[in-house]
Amino acid sequence: MAEVEETLKRIQSQKGVQGIIVVNAEGIPIKTTLDNSTTVQYAALIHQLVLKARSTVRDMDPQNDLTFLRLRSKKNEIMVAPDKEYFLIVIQNPTD
Amino acid sequence: MFTDETLETVGAESLWRKSRLLQQESKTCQTAELKTAEVEVQAGHTSENATQTEADEHRTQHFALERESPIHYPGLGEFLHSVEGVVVKELKRNVKSHAFEGFEVNWEDQSETVSCLHALQYSEAQESGLQVTSLSWNTTGSVVACAYGRLDDGDWSTEKSFVCTWNLDRRGLNPKRPDLVIDVPTSVMCLSFHPSKPSLIAGGLYSGEVLVWDTSRTLDPLCARTAMSDETHREPVYQVHWVPGARRGGGFSVLSAGADGRILVWQLDSEGQLTLSDGFALVTQQVPRNIKLSKARGDSLLGVTSLSLCPWDSDMFLVGVEGGLVLKCSFSTHTPAAVSSPSSGLALRAPAQFSFSSHAGPIHAIHCSPFHRNLFLCAGMDGHAHLRSLLQATPLLSLRLSDSYLFSVRWSPTRPLVFAAATGQGSVVIFDLGQGSLRPAATIEQDAGGKPVYCLEFNPKQPHLLAAGNADGTVKIWQLSAELIEQGQREAAQLEQLANEATE
Repeated sequence: MAEVEETLKRIQSQKGVQGIIVVNAEGIPIKTTLDNSTTVQYAALIHQLVLKARSTVRDMDPQNDLTFLRLRSKKNEIMVAPDKEYFLIVIQNPTD
Repeated sequence: MFTDETLETVGAESLWRKSRLLQQESKTCQTAELKTAEVEVQAGHTSENATQTEADEHRTQHFALERESPIHYPGLGEFLHSVEGVVVKELKRNVKSHAFEGFEVNWEDQSETVSCLHALQYSEAQESGLQVTSLSWNTTGSVVACAYGRLDDGDWSTEKSFVCTWNLDRRGLNPKRPDLVIDVPTSVMCLSFHPSKPSLIAGGLYSGEVLVWDTSRTLDPLCARTAMSDETHREPVYQVHWVPGARRGGGFSVLSAGADGRILVWQLDSEGQLTLSDGFALVTQQVPRNIKLSKARGDSLLGVTSLSLCPWDSDMFLVGVEGGLVLKCSFSTHTPAAVSSPSSGLALRAPAQFSFSSHAGPIHAIHCSPFHRNLFLCAGMDGHAHLRSLLQATPLLSLRLSDSYLFSVRWSPTRPLVFAAATGQGSVVIFDLGQGSLRPAATIEQDAGGKPVYCLEFNPKQPHLLAAGNADGTVKIWQLSAELIEQGQREAAQLEQLANEATE
């Protein structure tokens, strides 16, 4: 367990990182550094987006698969590293 | 011959009356004996027990896992281990990347110019030469209400005036005919819509009364009024606001401030009366003297011309008075006001805690910034708008926006550095603090023949709409250009920087 916390801390300490959420395969957040309501909102919306992105990639080429998703907006950038059982969502403000 | 003789008495028995004694009988009775018994009981052995919940110290913001027996997520460690390298590399690259600098996306149709969407008028009011004294948007942003009255009249006027509302989202919007017209016996000086109920409006009149209308009632919109008594305002009410009530989760109360120096808080009760629940009075001698006041009499009351509630701190409010003084006041003050209070009434309190340096004329408008705790704007008759911080007495910036008076100033609800001011020359000036120049970002001519613009309000829900009312009785709704509405990237930080310059 300590190892998990250590890893999350290392990621959190990178420059500009505003928050980290780890979501399981059903879209339920299991670890987070943000407050409850924001976490729930992010988890639900981004989970759906990742599933849609993955199906897009696989539809175009069944041999291909999604490895990383980056969503850039005016105020920040959201990065998602997907996996079979978990997703890691990191929110960073690169101009800070 | 004659001798004394006594004869026996002669009696005759009554034939019809018999002795009663013969017919009376006496009887007695007695209840049977009552059985009673006494018993006592006493607890021979006592014990006490109590339970209490303790504050749960384990509750933190982490989402589900602060328990003693951790839920072991199988594979989480490996997942994070495999993903960490990639993520950290991307994060580092992102910070150094210049890829997106200067890259802007246009999602919506950018309107380059400011255009007038509607010019709303009410013919009867215009015929009597009434001016628009106050405007308010309702909480959903679709209805604008305007109050007619006179601001340039010094006399006591008993002229009838109106409050009109227009619903801008309706299809059949006729700018010449308001959706609802409410007749009012004297000039209305200020208006305010309820922050959550879209149909309640509160208004303050020239005669000192405060009225609340409910626009959803067709028969008689007047829903509550203040009674005329010793405790109510006797002079024009210049500001009316809704403040959250004292009860938790309760409704809002109406705050009214008038030229008689009193700030009163009213509660709506069910019978259509506004009852006084709290009150404050501003007395000259009780104003904290960082700045020397003019030679006003010590016990005279300072008329309030503008008021602003602070969105960050519900206890504080700012008041601008007739002499040009700006005061910081508190709702929870305890000092009683040095005013002779009426016999049965509420004891008024003195709210002033700090006074800022004064302007050279009455302050017509104060507005607290919705983006920064400490900043507020105030504008008065000297044509200057001052950007001030709550932490110091002198202004941070003093901007000369007009050669004549400024009647109203409002922060933009979307851009932290932008504010708009209504001038006495008939134009609305929009100023951008981020541009660093002394000239305004935009000037909108209201085209009112040089007559002053008395009030302006941004639409809270549709930030591209700005309503401005002027002295010839029209309300113009302007659609602002995109650059005046959309927030740039670093504006909040720039505002913070501006505020911090104060202390240096």
